[in-house]
Amino acid sequence: MSDPTDMMIADAGIDEGIKKLTPERIEQTIRHVLDNESAARMKVYLETCVHCGLCAEACHTYNSRDRDPDYAPVAKVKNTLWEMVKRKGKVDGPFLKNAARIAFTECGACRRCSMYCPFGIDIAYQIMTVRRICSLLGLVPQYLQDTTNSHAVTSNQMWVQPDDWIDTLMWQEEEAMSELSGARIPLDKEGADVFYSVIAPEPKILAQLIGNMAVIMKAANIDWTMPSADGWDNSNMAMYSGDFEVMGRVERAHWERAAQLRVKRIVMGECGHAYRGAVYDGPKWLAWKQPPIPMVHAVEFYYELIKSGKLVIKRKIEEPVTVQDPCNIVRGRGLHDKLRYVIKALCEDFRDMEPRHEHNYCCAAGGGVINCGPPWKLSRMKSIRCKADQLAATKASLIITPCHNCHSGIEDIIGHYKLGMHVKFINELLVKAIDLES
Amino acid sequence: MATFEYEGVSIQVDEDGFMEEPEKWNEEVAKALASTEGVTELTEDHWKVVNYLRDYYLKFGVAPMIRKLCKESKYSLKQIYELFPSGPAKGACKVAGLPKPTGCV
Repeated sequence: MSDPTDMMIADAGIDEGIKKLTPERIEQTIRHVLDNESAARMKVYLETCVHCGLCAEACHTYNSRDRDPDYAPVAKVKNTLWEMVKRKGKVDGPFLKNAARIAFTECGACRRCSMYCPFGIDIAYQIMTVRRICSLLGLVPQYLQDTTNSHAVTSNQMWVQPDDWIDTLMWQEEEAMSELSGARIPLDKEGADVFYSVIAPEPKILAQLIGNMAVIMKAANIDWTMPSADGWDNSNMAMYSGDFEVMGRVERAHWERAAQLRVKRIVMGECGHAYRGAVYDGPKWLAWKQPPIPMVHAVEFYYELIKSGKLVIKRKIEEPVTVQDPCNIVRGRGLHDKLRYVIKALCEDFRDMEPRHEHNYCCAAGGGVINCGPPWKLSRMKSIRCKADQLAATKASLIITPCHNCHSGIEDIIGHYKLGMHVKFINELLVKAIDLES
Repeated sequence: MATFEYEGVSIQVDEDGFMEEPEKWNEEVAKALASTEGVTELTEDHWKVVNYLRDYYLKFGVAPMIRKLCKESKYSLKQIYELFPSGPAKGACKVAGLPKPTGCV
């Protein structure tokens, strides 16, 4: 059965919401989502699953929690969505508290299970449907809801104000100039080859990553720009909290800002879920056949720059290195070979993970799980013991994580399981490795 | 939630080690929290950062941008990391008694 300690975790975002519900509202909301919002594929998935359980061993939560059947993906769906369907929406508060915990904190929507399902059922889609229902009912973990609220008000996820955004870019431009003469962060340059977008934790906390990119762009001689106003944050936590109205607005703002500047393409920083939101979930919700402008993830961009010789690697990293394949750009986009090309160009001693590529284990932070905040930290650590074993087995000292959620999640794993390793973004290594003289 | 005790200080902290009741923060609490973040002694430089974060949080209810912290305290980003090895958010904000920032962190 599910861990009783986790079942008792208090989260005002869920607990206070439950107090405001009525049986009628619960039933109407669930029926609305099931009848009007979920696509035909939901019906197909529900009718196709034969409960074979092959998804179980694909899941890090199941593997890390002593193979308890309650943590198998099929059980997570059975204890949430199937019951909602079976009972035609007539479920109560305690049922919904359990469902919210499962959907928001015990599944990172990493989609590893779908690869092991004989029918390829998108179990994460079913879990996201549960989150959608929870969101409409006002049952979202408080920390996660705060990021959605920030998206709704400011478009970005960390309450960054417009003047602070510009001030940060100007500051990082100066920092970049002190590293490499002529480095700039051109704002709102119409027709630029590259529109570079980041996620809000970069300007808010990790501003050096933006300065690093300015150095890289100058070193590779790229015609690029960053937007001065809303649309600069490509992240989207509303996608994971189930507030699809805000999710759509945020994705539209990002694409429209780039389109307004008539740029040739978008390059996104090292973030996985942002890529997923911009390429898949956003356009689908907005009913776009395809996004208006081409877009590449930073990993693909670095690959191009190194492969074409625009960036020359002068000093390689000597310590033993491994790499985390983020779900949304590897399982979701197949960037594992390009990622390894970049890593091998940068590092002398690369030690791959096992399993790897699209079979890699999730970081347990993505999918909005780390965003559920401190109340759920220990539960998250219990759900990811298999990742700690996988990391330790590489005997690397540095883990490269080209995704913000992977980065923070693995930092937590290192601390909790005392692995004595450290994490870096590619950007941080690249800026130290390239030849700034030529 | 857990109770954290250090040299006579006893406070409630969340699972990431941030204060559950930020209003109970004082200088002794800051010293106790600093011990969890690899800071053995709070120097004048540390206090300048901590006090700025504290004041900003009490005024606006959120942590300041890293840009604001560097500009107002006159420390470079590199110096902030030297003072607080786990960084401005997980290190300095924790010592200043702020809650863990929301977002992908």
